[in-house]
Amino acid sequence: MTDSTESPDLQRRSGLRRLKEGTYGGFFAACAAITLLTTVAIFATLLSDAVVFFAEIPIVEFLTGTNWSPNPAGGGQSFGIIPLLIGTLVVTITAAFIALPTGTLTAIYLSEYATPNARSILKPLLEILAGIPTVVYGYFALVYITPALKATLFPEMSTFNALSASIMVGIMTIPMVSSISEDAMSAVPDELRQAGYGLGATKFEVSTGIVVPASISGIASSYILAVSRAVGETMIVVVAMGAQARMPAVREAPLGIPYINPADVLLESGMTITVAMVQIAGGDLTGGTIPYDSMFALGLALFVVTLAMNVLSDIIAERYREEY
Amino acid sequence: MATDNQNATGFGEVSRVRGIVFEYLSLGASVAGLVALGVLLVYVAIDAFDLANASPEWLLTYFLTLVVPFLAFCLYSADDAAVTRRVVGVLAGGLVAVAGVFTAIETFVVTIPRLSWQLAYLFVVAAPVTAYLAYVGSHGRVGAVGFGLLGRLVGGIAVGLAVGTLFLVFDELVWFLAYTLGVLPAAALYAYGRWRAAARAVTAAAPIGLLGLVAAAVLRGVVRTYPSDLVIYLWTLAIPVAAVGALVVAARGSRTAAVAAGGGPLALATAGGFLAGSVGLPGPTTLIVLAVTGVPTAVYVHRVVDVGEGTVGLGLPLLLAAGVIVGALVVEAWGVPAPDPWLDASYVTEAPSRNAAEAGLYPAIVGSVIIIALVAVLSFVLGVGTSVFLEEYTAGSGLVGSLTRLLQINIANLAAIPSVVYGLLGLGLFANLLGLGYGTAVTAALTLSLLILPITIISAQEAIRSVPDDLRRGSDAMGATRWQTTKNVVLPEALPGILTGTILALGRAIGETAPLIMIGAATTVFSAPGSLFSRFSAMPMQIYAWAGFPQAEFRYGVVAAGVITLLIILIGMNGTAILLRNRAERGS
Repeated sequence: MTDSTESPDLQRRSGLRRLKEGTYGGFFAACAAITLLTTVAIFATLLSDAVVFFAEIPIVEFLTGTNWSPNPAGGGQSFGIIPLLIGTLVVTITAAFIALPTGTLTAIYLSEYATPNARSILKPLLEILAGIPTVVYGYFALVYITPALKATLFPEMSTFNALSASIMVGIMTIPMVSSISEDAMSAVPDELRQAGYGLGATKFEVSTGIVVPASISGIASSYILAVSRAVGETMIVVVAMGAQARMPAVREAPLGIPYINPADVLLESGMTITVAMVQIAGGDLTGGTIPYDSMFALGLALFVVTLAMNVLSDIIAERYREEY
Repeated sequence: MATDNQNATGFGEVSRVRGIVFEYLSLGASVAGLVALGVLLVYVAIDAFDLANASPEWLLTYFLTLVVPFLAFCLYSADDAAVTRRVVGVLAGGLVAVAGVFTAIETFVVTIPRLSWQLAYLFVVAAPVTAYLAYVGSHGRVGAVGFGLLGRLVGGIAVGLAVGTLFLVFDELVWFLAYTLGVLPAAALYAYGRWRAAARAVTAAAPIGLLGLVAAAVLRGVVRTYPSDLVIYLWTLAIPVAAVGALVVAARGSRTAAVAAGGGPLALATAGGFLAGSVGLPGPTTLIVLAVTGVPTAVYVHRVVDVGEGTVGLGLPLLLAAGVIVGALVVEAWGVPAPDPWLDASYVTEAPSRNAAEAGLYPAIVGSVIIIALVAVLSFVLGVGTSVFLEEYTAGSGLVGSLTRLLQINIANLAAIPSVVYGLLGLGLFANLLGLGYGTAVTAALTLSLLILPITIISAQEAIRSVPDDLRRGSDAMGATRWQTTKNVVLPEALPGILTGTILALGRAIGETAPLIMIGAATTVFSAPGSLFSRFSAMPMQIYAWAGFPQAEFRYGVVAAGVITLLIILIGMNGTAILLRNRAERGS
């Protein structure tokens, strides 16, 4: 590795060499500082415009308002986040119904049942699911899933709807659940499994009765990460779910109990927080207007929610790491 | 135990049904997402290439002229009777099975839209068998040579086109001056220093190069006359590439071979560059593509011939080209009805249009290539710098240790922030505060670099961590300073891993759309961007824009072609990354 141009410097006296060392060390430290600065910059950018927004629109009105119309054709503007929260929740919950069971079963299969050969093929293939650009998923949902569902199960479905977008978000987040859960399951010591077999348990009982409970914190942390990814997902919902912020229709059950028909929400278009941001960004971006600032308020809400979920997931995963 | 022994008379029997059902349920769950994605990809491919309108005769023609020879080549390379039997069995059995099952479903259950049993056979049986055989065949010497040559041809064309695209935005005259005054003298000085073991020459190379670059920037405003574009590319790109190729060959063998391997492609590229204009191709790009493709190909061919193993494999590109030509001739001669694919040459060379038949992706492809090139440089430098700092320059304990942990947690959290929030950062910081402009390539590149930075850092850290500590200690014991150890030992060992991680992260950046929307990137531009500060579009932006068009030709044609283009580029990038990793693993 060494050659004559790199003579050893045993006394560390050469000034030029010291300068060189210092320069490179400083450069690397500066690179590392940029990652810290990015976080600060994100926080500062979001906060500075959000503060302007909340000076105009009271924060209580923002958090409790049930109407979102930042660029109205006729009437007044209103910035209520509730319909957007409902849209986000609908997508997240539906996607979770797909991703969490599928991902968990995948993790169990990979960790307990699959041969090493099958695992080495399946694991990279599953990563592909997370690597496809989300705009492509959105296109799939709009152009293939919605017509297929319309032709078979739900003839009354509208072109833009929450269901097909959620299905695609669910498929996209499967590898997130499966890879982290599988890591947690593989970390379960083999002694526990052997002890189970020793007591006469079947493979099924060992998998579901020993491995899953032993790795439950890792599984929970993967669930939270996957849900946080679904909350922040943008392009799938923008392309396939449409952009109509609406409150779900409340119906009356026979005994006068109010309820919400899931079909009203799932088969119709809706709007998530991310869609609202993209919709405003499609218009004027020069800054200074309330809709512009509202984007940053929404971004702040999204940032806080996802950050809280990641920290929570970290805390849960940390607890599990201490167990063995 | 003793009190409760009424069950202890025997072991009894345990039902296996529950366990078996569970095993297959979890296997089903593992592949469910993949199957769903596979079906969607098949449909988008059918739409992009208009395969729904492909006649069975057309499919059969190309199957016989293109697929069958390729399979035969792979079987020849694998040289394994068991594999041959298996493949022929699967191909024949699959034909019967797919035709039978497909017809049964169509008659008794539902008609399957836009799919015939021939297409189903193509995607369900022929494509996986081809992929499997390509994998098996590449392990044989002949197959490895064939795929190596094919990879150099395709990769050379891709790199050449990308370099040509970059010069749409970067000023080639500045590059000409910078190369002549800075890069060339510095490289010459460095090479001389290494050759003669003159430490001073090596040390002086970097300052001289910098001086040359500054001089170039100053002179650009003063000098008025320049050689033509073609001469500039010949001088700054084609000749250096040919020289490097010739040196590589010369290091292995004879001088005549070296001159041939460098000079042959160079002469071809020069002739091609000067003649391209008369056929309507852009001369400079043709020159670059021919040089970048020809020289590595010539070097590779020389090596294969020199080694003398698997030379038959060199015929693979010819075999495939002949297959395409013969297929086209047969289709032409017998008037076989051919499909009209949306994804064709005009699609990738023309501007978008409201008319579906004329719509093209060219400006968006150019935009994507430019952004990705900038992002690659930025995120590579920042990512490697940060990971070297975290892995090599920090201590595990004390104040520095807790700072390192803070940085580490921060990076993990940055990786989980939604991309749309990065878009807001780009909008607020780069576009508005720093005034870099809405939707310019610079703003987009900075935003996307920050977006993929955490992924780059995490993978680079893993690569650096996997370098054995013995090597570092050995270098330290020789009296090397920390930077010398990093430069001479750690980075060369970790480089393949770092490159793999960076390319995979770039794959993420090329498909990102939400941040581009937030910084105001144009959904549709009609001409390629002329500078870094002009508004541009990118492939995913254009797909997003077109997906909103209600016409069926757009939904089921133009967008599908765009999706396939994007996916092909992604597959190419990820394939390169995987190849790099495999090669590094084999080497170590």
